[in-house]
Amino acid sequence: MSTLHAETKIASAQTAGSIKTKALLSRILLWIFLLLVAALALFPLILAFFGSLKSNLELTTGTSLLPKEWKFSNYAQAWTSANFARFTWNSVFISTFTTIGTLLIGTMAAYAVARVDFYGKRLYVVIQSCTLFISIGAVVLRPQFDLMVALHLQKSLWGVIIILISAHATAFFMLIGFVRAISKELDEAAFIDGCNFYSVYFRVILPLLTPALGVTALWTFRGAWNEYILPLVFTMTQPALQTLTVGLAGLKYGVGDAAQPQLMLAGACVSMLPMIIVYIFANKTFMQMTAGSVKG
Amino acid sequence: MNGTKRQINAWTFVAPSLILTLIFGVYPVFWALKYMFYDYQGFGTPLFVGLDNFERLLRDKDFWKSVVNTFIYAGGKLVITIPLSFVLAVVLNRALKGRQLLRAIYFMPTVISASVMAIVFYVIFNSYNGMVNQLLMGAGIVSAPIDWLGAKHALVTAIIIAIWGAVGNYMLLFIAGLQNIPEDLYEAASLDGAGPLRKMWSITVPMLGPVLQMIIMLAITVSLKGYESIMVLTEGGPYGKTEVMYLYLYKLFFPVSSGGSSIQQFGYGSAVGFTTAVIVGLITLIYFYVSKKLNDIY
Repeated sequence: MSTLHAETKIASAQTAGSIKTKALLSRILLWIFLLLVAALALFPLILAFFGSLKSNLELTTGTSLLPKEWKFSNYAQAWTSANFARFTWNSVFISTFTTIGTLLIGTMAAYAVARVDFYGKRLYVVIQSCTLFISIGAVVLRPQFDLMVALHLQKSLWGVIIILISAHATAFFMLIGFVRAISKELDEAAFIDGCNFYSVYFRVILPLLTPALGVTALWTFRGAWNEYILPLVFTMTQPALQTLTVGLAGLKYGVGDAAQPQLMLAGACVSMLPMIIVYIFANKTFMQMTAGSVKG
Repeated sequence: MNGTKRQINAWTFVAPSLILTLIFGVYPVFWALKYMFYDYQGFGTPLFVGLDNFERLLRDKDFWKSVVNTFIYAGGKLVITIPLSFVLAVVLNRALKGRQLLRAIYFMPTVISASVMAIVFYVIFNSYNGMVNQLLMGAGIVSAPIDWLGAKHALVTAIIIAIWGAVGNYMLLFIAGLQNIPEDLYEAASLDGAGPLRKMWSITVPMLGPVLQMIIMLAITVSLKGYESIMVLTEGGPYGKTEVMYLYLYKLFFPVSSGGSSIQQFGYGSAVGFTTAVIVGLITLIYFYVSKKLNDIY
């Protein structure tokens, strides 16, 4: 009897031990997997960064990850002779005004839709959601370009900005959720205090929306900054108006001489850096925006 | 509070949004719906040709090849992206040291422009002097350089890049869905002696159902529509091996330096645009129908 008892005890101690080893082993495997994915996610960015500091010769023949000689001059060359100073300015200009315009138009519409049962509201919301779901691809660029020719804006960045602002459906749907979260009683109290429809927007809604405006601004700015095809179509023949994305892709064909990969990587780093810096500080906001689209 | 004055107030605030949407969002669609029945090359008078463009489309082998490529591209991307991002989400939804940092790292690729990343990959995947081959050969994994952007591998390379850019995004969408599942379900299951796999199949997957369905639908449409990175990487080449349908469409309106025809074809392009939109719509519908049927059976 007692031997049997002892045997079970030993057996259970052994299983406990093997469960512990098993748990440890699966933890180790899990971490190997997680770190491997993390490495793969960062790998191209790290290669791009170190590559951008190599000489052309080392980039094309060397086999080490780190540059032997750190050529910061690649950046100087990209910035001046490859015209990245100009591209950066254009990207900043387009992204800034697109963000301001989108926020203005989006908050106005979201406020009206959230607060007033105006005639045609349903139709308006249906049109906005249709623009999100129907995609006929590059076809729309042609009539859009013709419209800008008619408005004499095809040779200015404003053409691109206006079209980017016109695609504000996502921002609108993000903002309408935020406006709805503001208590209606606040509007009503403001009305009693003598505010009208417009002053409620400026004095109640906009101040209370500030955090939401930050989120939406980040979303819009990123979209405009990363946009490639629209600015490409509008600035194909006008290098002075090209954005970072367009100018960078243009390097593939080489400016004058053969394509220079170290310049392409330096240019890519210049294009990515602002977004990565913002992301390092605001990654929670970025992730919150994406997660919000599921919960919404 | 809903008098005429308030109606007018509201309309003044909606008007800028509506006008911009109608001019730049809705009008171009009707433009395409009109010109898909015309022979129009961008100059001269458009000529009404009825259904000629669609007849030509049916016989256009390059187009249908691009449709097949699109399916391979989207399918290859999703087959890896969805399971991988789901597993990462499940793991990173648990109490795990450093999960915030890992999430931030996995999500990072999604904040970078597809076109910029395509340039980076173009350089590092370059066959004869790219860094990926140098490292692979340096480590002795391969003996000869892999022709990543050649006819044989280019589509696979494009899929790798697409996966790289998408996993973090879907991981986060899955995490958001997982957080809506009440914790006590898992506790109850643990008390009943359910193991992790059992919990996954009996709680996580069914509870995630509608969200899962939505995320996969989103993933399907997004991957069918994506062509930016391929355009920068290979322009659809070599020999049309990476030509996807939205890129094929783009080239009809804006001919690029290499490959494809060099004549703008707005009429035919509109017909192609309409057809691609219908194809995407149909696939979405089929997916919706099938996943609903599966839900019912379940």
